[in-house]
Amino acid sequence: MSKTGMAPGNSSLRKLVSKPEFSILLIFAVMFAITAVLQKNFFEIKSIVRNINAFAPLILMTMGQALVILAGGIDLSAGTALSLLTCVLTTVMKKGEPVTGIYALLAAFAVAVLIGVINGIGIGYLRIPPVIVTFATSYIWLGAGLFLRPTPGGETVGWFASFYNIGAVSGVPEFIKSFGAVIPPALILVLIGCAFWFVVSKTKTGRYIYAVGGNNDSAYASGINTARVQMRACIMNSVFIFLTALFFVGQNQSGDARMGDPLTLRAIAAAVVGGIALSGGRGNVYFALVGALILSFVNKIIFFANIPNAYQTLVSGVIVIVAIAASVAYTLYNKRAMLKENR
Amino acid sequence: MNTGIGLRNSAIYKAYDRYKKLVIAVLLIIFLFVLGQITVSNFFTFPQVLLTIKLASLIALFGLCQMVVIAAGGSGLDLSVGYAATMTAVFTAKIMDGKNENLWLAIVVAVAIGIGVGTLNGVLTSFFKLPPLVITLAMANILQGVINVYTAGKNITGRPSPVLRVIAAQSTGICPNILFLLAIVGAIVMIVLSKTKLGLMLFGVGSNETAAYLSGVNVKIVRFTAFVFSGVLASLIGLLLIGNMGIAFKDMGSNYVMPSIAAVVVGGVSLNGGEGNYLGVILGAIFLQTLTNLLVALGWGDAGKWVGFGTVLFILLIVYVSNRRGR
Repeated sequence: MSKTGMAPGNSSLRKLVSKPEFSILLIFAVMFAITAVLQKNFFEIKSIVRNINAFAPLILMTMGQALVILAGGIDLSAGTALSLLTCVLTTVMKKGEPVTGIYALLAAFAVAVLIGVINGIGIGYLRIPPVIVTFATSYIWLGAGLFLRPTPGGETVGWFASFYNIGAVSGVPEFIKSFGAVIPPALILVLIGCAFWFVVSKTKTGRYIYAVGGNNDSAYASGINTARVQMRACIMNSVFIFLTALFFVGQNQSGDARMGDPLTLRAIAAAVVGGIALSGGRGNVYFALVGALILSFVNKIIFFANIPNAYQTLVSGVIVIVAIAASVAYTLYNKRAMLKENR
Repeated sequence: MNTGIGLRNSAIYKAYDRYKKLVIAVLLIIFLFVLGQITVSNFFTFPQVLLTIKLASLIALFGLCQMVVIAAGGSGLDLSVGYAATMTAVFTAKIMDGKNENLWLAIVVAVAIGIGVGTLNGVLTSFFKLPPLVITLAMANILQGVINVYTAGKNITGRPSPVLRVIAAQSTGICPNILFLLAIVGAIVMIVLSKTKLGLMLFGVGSNETAAYLSGVNVKIVRFTAFVFSGVLASLIGLLLIGNMGIAFKDMGSNYVMPSIAAVVVGGVSLNGGEGNYLGVILGAIFLQTLTNLLVALGWGDAGKWVGFGTVLFILLIVYVSNRRGR
């Protein structure tokens, strides 16, 4: 990251290797290669589409989470917020009335923004430690989700499946269907997310997020409305959660107040693997996306290793701890190495 | 101005300032009981109050785990207590098999599980400086995974030893036995924390890390020990859980995690560390249990309970923790 004080004698290769981005891409390449070898028809369109569908939720959630972490927060309520949104979507929609789908979209988006605003008030304006305030709100979302949908279920309108598989929707022209078979909606959702962040990162808010996350007090002292920036980061996170909810409801055709729980921790871990510092202000949202891909590939590899289903939670928990510990240890090691060279 | 300072120095004001949060907690509990009496008939009766306190005692014990970890500072919290307890309950059910003579082995297993979990939590958070909430959440996942693996394809067999049944589920006269246990634990905790070097070290590390370090306290070891204590205590509470329920099942402890943290906040313990009044935590636990009872009586069930807990925690965080005036 930092280019300061490198001794002139260093070879450029060493400079490259010491960059965290390099190691992230290297790990990604290794995981990609292993998966490509293990999965027999990895490069066929069908399995590529299937992989994108499997990876998209974590990618979207990770990008949202990365934004909040960059702004100096963390969102432990992301998973239950996702669950709540799926419950809202499936409660508003009525089967056979296509127009209710639009109401559902509007309602869910409003709820998503509200979620972001409440988290933002807690983190930004009231300056309660983010970890604990989002822990509290996560139970509000959980309870609200259970209120709407005590047991998994609900109904959706027909066209909502287009967020998962355009081919499953009747009455869509053939050329769009064949387009959807190659470019799945999940990929489009991820691209929308990327485009959204691309636009935001070019604005003042995008740069303020880094400033606030890096040092809240100096950002405040230089005249940035830190609370508003953090609130905006939370709302943007909500947009990503909203996109994920669209995908899930399109895929499962149902809402579930508890389905999102495991994604919270995996998204945080993915962001950390992607080089987002938990202390805030350092990292890159696109590399968080790569981090999500790395974790997804690791999951895939575990799947190919034929580990029984019962081990899934155990293994994913171990991966999260190992991933976080390794990235933090790596950053510390790099820092120390840099200090030594500068001496 | 002068009178103001005089008032501030008076013994009554000092006592009020010190116990302000306890008074608030008591008032909140009374408020809930009155509200319950108005909306639901037979809410504020003596047996009902005793039952509430009995159910709250498990939350209060889990709250002790949280209180110690929180008091040690470093934004510590332990989300793995629920599954540590569940794991002990599930593993010891078969060992005890309904016999008293196997209880010792069960306790040894429980302590071993607690030390294992606590050591991992403590090493990762205090020596590797990883965020406690994320690490303990991941640890909860791992423990849940271990339980899933252990119970995959077979039922959990075995029953608690009769002694545990007596302690956790039965009553002497009208007073549930677990209240005696809670009273003993509470007294020990309060004495240890206020009268011994141990308590001084814990609060010292929590309130000012640098000062504690400069006075020769090993900050890392203290925080590490807090996590080990939390793990062992949570694991032992697992024995009470199975004693209370009579059987062990997969998710029996996970519902206590959120209330245990909320109880600490309701009890007025600062999340910044450096303080801890166990009486407050017990009151907080009673408040949360009363709230649960009220919401269940009103027919709002699980959903209402979680919304209620989340909202109460959120509001109290605003009141106690919010840092608006810092600027």
